Amino acid sequence: METLFALLIGLLIAAGVFLLLSRVIVRVVLGLSFITYGGNLAILTVAGLREDAPPLLTLKGPYVDPLPQALILTAIVIGFATTALLLTVALRAYQVAGHDDVEAFGDNLARDPEADDGLAADPEHQGPDRPDPEEPRTLVYSARSPGGGEP
Amino acid sequence: MTLAVFLPFLLAALAAWLGPRLGRRTGYVAALAFVPALLLAVPLAGAGPGAAPALEVTRWVPDLGLALAFRGDGFSLLFAALIGVIGTLSSLYSVAYLSGHERFGRFYAYLLLFGGSMLGLVLSDNLVALFGFWEMTSVTSFLLIGLWHTRSAARDGAVKAFLVSALGGLGLLAAVAMIGLAGGSTTLSGLDVEALRASPLFVPALLLTLLAAFTKSAQLPFHLWLPTAMEAPTPVSAFLHSATMVKAGVVLVAKFGLLFGSSPLWGGIIVPVGLATLVWGAWIALRQTDLKALLAYSTVSQLGLLMSLYGLSDAEGRFAATAHLLNHAAFKAALFFVVGIIDHETGTRELPRLGGLRKALPVTFAVALLASLSMAGVPPLGGFISKELFYEAMLHRGPLFIAVAVLGSALTFAYSFRLLRVFWGPPRSPPGAEPHEAPPGLTGPAALLALTALAFGLLPGVAGALTRTAQNALDFASYRGYLSLWHGVTPALLATFVTWGLGGLLILQAARVGALGRRLTPRVNANTVYYALTEGVNILSSRLIARTQGLALPDQLRIMLGAAGLIAGYAVWRSPQVFHSIGTPPLALLPVAALLVAGAVGVLLARSRLTAVVVTGLTGFGSAAAFLGLRAPDLALTQLLVEAVTVILFLLVFRYLPRTRDLPRTRWRYGVDLLLAGSAGLGATLLVLAGVRFLAPPISPYYLENSYRLGGGRNVVNVLLVDFRGFDTLGEIAVVGMVALAVLGLVRLGKKGRAPGEPPPVPASPPPKEKEEA
Repeated sequence: METLFALLIGLLIAAGVFLLLSRVIVRVVLGLSFITYGGNLAILTVAGLREDAPPLLTLKGPYVDPLPQALILTAIVIGFATTALLLTVALRAYQVAGHDDVEAFGDNLARDPEADDGLAADPEHQGPDRPDPEEPRTLVYSARSPGGGEP
Repeated sequence: MTLAVFLPFLLAALAAWLGPRLGRRTGYVAALAFVPALLLAVPLAGAGPGAAPALEVTRWVPDLGLALAFRGDGFSLLFAALIGVIGTLSSLYSVAYLSGHERFGRFYAYLLLFGGSMLGLVLSDNLVALFGFWEMTSVTSFLLIGLWHTRSAARDGAVKAFLVSALGGLGLLAAVAMIGLAGGSTTLSGLDVEALRASPLFVPALLLTLLAAFTKSAQLPFHLWLPTAMEAPTPVSAFLHSATMVKAGVVLVAKFGLLFGSSPLWGGIIVPVGLATLVWGAWIALRQTDLKALLAYSTVSQLGLLMSLYGLSDAEGRFAATAHLLNHAAFKAALFFVVGIIDHETGTRELPRLGGLRKALPVTFAVALLASLSMAGVPPLGGFISKELFYEAMLHRGPLFIAVAVLGSALTFAYSFRLLRVFWGPPRSPPGAEPHEAPPGLTGPAALLALTALAFGLLPGVAGALTRTAQNALDFASYRGYLSLWHGVTPALLATFVTWGLGGLLILQAARVGALGRRLTPRVNANTVYYALTEGVNILSSRLIARTQGLALPDQLRIMLGAAGLIAGYAVWRSPQVFHSIGTPPLALLPVAALLVAGAVGVLLARSRLTAVVVTGLTGFGSAAAFLGLRAPDLALTQLLVEAVTVILFLLVFRYLPRTRDLPRTRWRYGVDLLLAGSAGLGATLLVLAGVRFLAPPISPYYLENSYRLGGGRNVVNVLLVDFRGFDTLGEIAVVGMVALAVLGLVRLGKKGRAPGEPPPVPASPPPKEKEEA
């Protein structure tokens, strides 16, 4: 039984990772959901799948392990919270950027050199002056070609 | 002793609080902190050299062998008293020296923290604590050097000092671990020296200790940080560079010389490096025009002298070194104070712009004269006597050693007189400055130290007795030498005459020497190497960041997953694999499995986003069904609920999102993604298989047995959540609450904000209403 579940978990995780790497924002969110499913089942499986009674003391024992179930219960709720937050961020990103292409989001910083990206936030921390001021030190944030497949 | 170490730390907090209130008068409080350290000199004088060292142990982390063990042997007490003297004088001096705009709280807090760590360092008997104090001196000196952090030179100096001495600190950490391992104890006095010498860790520990000592004490080629550390205020420089920080390395060599001295490697490395530093530092010092820089390089040079003497690791060398340690502290601190006064009165430290200060600053002149002559090694001052001892020791080594020693001392002689030049000649000072004698607050400490230098020369017995207090700790009780102005006509005296002759020649031919110096300046020096290295690291890291973190999210994820996969793959490859029980799949669960597979495959094939979400729901319900089959009814219930809400959430959001376009991945990315996803899945499968019932015996029976008795509930999972792991659940609720707030904030923003340079948003969408029911 554990072997079957191990294979299923592998499949869920693989699907999740593949979705996570896709460009459409909704797919990324769904990918995380799949990873959550896989993780939850993994916790249960690792503790051992047994044919005993559920951990309700009203029934007759022996009981299955209650601890992983408690852990998963927490994990399900946290997973839901993550999904909700990500979806809202996706919505907001779409409103701001006007597209839902995850790959193009990365360019926003590089595209506008004047944008406040935290790199040069504090002139005090630009590092010590050099004896040769002709060559200012530049942080090489190479700008990828803007757009990245986005019109 | 424990008090002496901890009082500065306590008063540092007080000083930070008092600073803004008392202003410069905080310095008097700071001086108080060193009083117990000064009192340490009392048992030193009373008990005589033969007394057994006192030991004070405060247990701290016994499991790590970490205790605050302070051992008051002769050498430690001598050095602690030295720190006390210079610390007190620096504090008093700074009261008169600092301008009214200084941030006193910060300054005195740093100064006291530094003094406390330095005292801890010299008194500590525990190796781990010694390392801790060692690093604290690095950190606090970083803060002190960078005190005027608005000046780029100060920042540069502080960073440089920290990088170099932290490098050595890492070496010391490793060395301490090795010594503790091989010697079977973490206390210096409890070490099994024979076992240490026999251990294969002996040589690595020796080399790492030397790295630490050399970086801290600015030996070649690590001397680069010391001159730039001069960016600190002058009282700090006097404290850091005459008595304490830079001498930490010397202390290390002196103390650990008893462990490592038997090895020819020890002296074989230290003595040449020390002598090279002596000559090179003096040669550079001779060419400085900034008075403080001159003193800084002179410190480098003098540290080389001390190092080479302790590195001889015989009784004679240790005796001479300890005597010179005292002399050097006296004259160098006095000279720093003098330079501070000159800077204060004339507004410049540039040699060519100064002259004829003899008349304007008579007291300062007298102090400077005494201290410089002591540094130059002219009788009847302390420096002369210790230089004679140095020559004696080097004469016993061989002609080459004495030749180098004479050369170094001749250069020292020359730059000492160069320093004095500001007092002769026609009066010259920058416009606007009317130099007049400094207040007693400034001249007092300097004069005291200069008189000490004189006393060490005129009353050699005093200095000798002080030096002798360290004889048991440093194992030179057998040495019969003594301090005296007149030993008779000895080879050392002749060498001194040669030194004076050579030094005089160097002074007379100053112009030619300067020209030679300019011609000999090497293109590549420690500083250029340092800058090349730091620049290289900067460029490398920013390139690395640009290549990894400057990317779009999927590419970043690919890199991270790839790295994680490589590491995990290596771990799997390295460790022997044990896979656990393979049960037969029960038929009842096969439909559930089919549901899960259908969801996973379906979502990959789904074209429209609605299908994708529905298919995901399939997996969600599948796993709920699985939970039900696996005897977890609570989970099934929760999962079903969450699935339902999630679908609603998706549908709400879809109103405002565009239709899914097909955004294809490039071909190689497709391949990479397949590979990554496949290996992630394979890894998860293997992990689960390897981890089944990994934790044996399980801790769960406790919950089953106690759920009703302690929690009063028959549903063990519920009792676990609300009673046994109540804080987890609280945290979970907090997370959900925070998410609710974040979602609310994001939704409320509506369309207002836009990133700069972006086109206006395409869709016109009113902000969605309620959608938070976590």
